[in-house]
Amino acid sequence: MNVATGLWDHLLDDETRALLAQRPSRPTIGRRPALVAVDLYDLVYDGGPRPVLELMEKYPASCGEYAWQALPGTVALYEAARAHDIPVVHVTYDTRPETNPKPMHPTNRRRRQPDLNLYRLKAELANRPGELVIYKKRASAFFGTPICAFLNEMKIDSLIMVGESTSGCVRSSVVEAASYGFPVTVVADCVFDRYPLNHQVSLLDMHLKYATVVDLASTLAALRSRPALAKAG
Amino acid sequence: MRSFEDYCWRHLLSEEMATIYAAYHRERRVEPRSAVLIVHPADSFTPTIGDWVPAAEHIVAEARTLGLPVLHSILPGELATRRLAPRPSDHVISRHADSAFFFCDLEAALTRLNVDGLIVAGGPTSGALRATAIEAKSYGYHAAIAEEATADEAALLHKMAMFDLAHKYADVMAVDELIALLRHAIAMKVA
Repeated sequence: MNVATGLWDHLLDDETRALLAQRPSRPTIGRRPALVAVDLYDLVYDGGPRPVLELMEKYPASCGEYAWQALPGTVALYEAARAHDIPVVHVTYDTRPETNPKPMHPTNRRRRQPDLNLYRLKAELANRPGELVIYKKRASAFFGTPICAFLNEMKIDSLIMVGESTSGCVRSSVVEAASYGFPVTVVADCVFDRYPLNHQVSLLDMHLKYATVVDLASTLAALRSRPALAKAG
Repeated sequence: MRSFEDYCWRHLLSEEMATIYAAYHRERRVEPRSAVLIVHPADSFTPTIGDWVPAAEHIVAEARTLGLPVLHSILPGELATRRLAPRPSDHVISRHADSAFFFCDLEAALTRLNVDGLIVAGGPTSGALRATAIEAKSYGYHAAIAEEATADEAALLHKMAMFDLAHKYADVMAVDELIALLRHAIAMKVA
């Protein structure tokens, strides 16, 4: 699998090169991976494929052009996963009002209450019947959610992670997944953020400490070359 | 107080980045019912940026004077950072993952101590400190971090982690500012 070095090469200096040199080798995609997609809802695509700077006034949560750039590749990844019996686990925000009567937010961003319908999964990335959706209220997909129980029941041995934001909920989820002992592969082309520097440094950090950050092309090649697995149960 | 962006990441901050992240600007504070949590790095940790121990000692000394709890998260098989050795009245919790909260009794200890704020110090900034501060916020604690009381093995990773923490998850400030806000908050509570 190809590590997405192109995304952080220009940032490397002596210190970060030294850390990369010390990075231990880690397992990536195992026999029974799951694709975990974090927070890919309409809200972060709102306003269309425009610069974040242009959108931020009217669409403060949008990742604009970065979200839309990642979309075709993410669709292709979902297709490859489904074609090879790899479960797709969707993670999104729990918008039930009774679960947040006095608003407490996952981050400190000053916010206007968005139309809660915008937390609907992006249509092209919607869950299909039989696919698991995890509803969360904090940054990590694991915090306060039953995701681990379901991953265990599905006998998942590794995670392929996509979604947003790279430096926020994706990173928190990756850290906790690694803490649980899951080998994690992060598909760099299928994660995005609101600003490139945060995105690139978080990818480098995740690759150094918690996961293997790879490109979409080699992930698709890896999935397509897998033999079909017998279904569990 | 120094302005929101006037901390260690200031030279990373382009105008566009500053504009995009302005929505996170807010008044920073330290909760009066805070505990101090020292995230002790491994013995092999060799920071290239940040000399975290003196500022952490300063914070711990202040906490003891004010009667605030002091907790230590220490990696299994490692010793506490020598100059920040736990006292018998401190709480020592073993750390099994980058977050000090991961599958241990830290959260239970904090609940019993009736704490609603956490002053987090230690390192690596982009590793255990960041993971711990984010999880502190997830658990509903108001997290405060003194920038001098952190350290890392790469300046870029350190500064980016402090930026992300300061905007999304914790109130980041200078150690003098933190101590002043803490004393002020306690004085206001008593008044």
